[in-house]
Amino acid sequence: MSVINTVILVFVGGAVGAMLREFVMLMVPTLADGLPLDILVANLVAAFLLGLVTALHRRKVLTDGVNTLLGTGVMGGLSTFSSFVYGSFVLMSASFDGALVSLLYVVASMLLGFVAVLIGLKLGGSGLGDGG
Amino acid sequence: MQPLDVMWVGLGGGAGSVLRWWIGKLAGERYHGAFPLGTFLINVSGAFVIGYLSVLFAVDFRDRYGTVLNAGVLTGILGGYTTFSSMQLDAAKLAGRSPPQAAFYLFISLVCGLLAAALGATLARLQG
Repeated sequence: MSVINTVILVFVGGAVGAMLREFVMLMVPTLADGLPLDILVANLVAAFLLGLVTALHRRKVLTDGVNTLLGTGVMGGLSTFSSFVYGSFVLMSASFDGALVSLLYVVASMLLGFVAVLIGLKLGGSGLGDGG
Repeated sequence: MQPLDVMWVGLGGGAGSVLRWWIGKLAGERYHGAFPLGTFLINVSGAFVIGYLSVLFAVDFRDRYGTVLNAGVLTGILGGYTTFSSMQLDAAKLAGRSPPQAAFYLFISLVCGLLAAALGATLARLQG
């Protein structure tokens, strides 16, 4: 695939993914203590779907182009790391209780994200580490 | 949320995603080790920039749209640039070879990401 085609697929996918993230986040209520549950939901959905897309691409169900559009573009745009860590940092620096809750939130997010991508890979018919 | 906000999020998300793809490609061409260096550098640098810009322009992290800065740059570009899903996919690939390496990668990404956000915020505060 030529570079310009890849750039277009990643741009369009990333744009759609970022807008989807905003729509997902608008639908998820923020918890009373200000935990960014909305970011977690967007990230978990993206991790699960990226696992699924990757597995289907490995099995040649999806072409390279579709994988670039969905995997690199949409799922990359849908998930975010910057808001995740910055939001957690702000909550951590707010108070001692905030720090504890926030620490729990980040650790749980990392573990759940890992489980989400594994479920996606498994459901798509691919295991750990397959295909590099 | 206004249509204009959606447009800025989309344009920023597209641009940030292309930047992520390009930096990932550059890192992949130069570094051939097992550690997912590209995604790591992307996420840590994005965390630094969001901390810096949020404090410099006094944007609360819960306010994700309404201006070009928070919708286009913070939610759009930085959200599209950094990725949680690719980090987890990298970890799953690493776990196939070495589960401790995968755990270390996730741990170091989180710690460096939090430190980078704190560093960016502190730098902006020092600048006043």
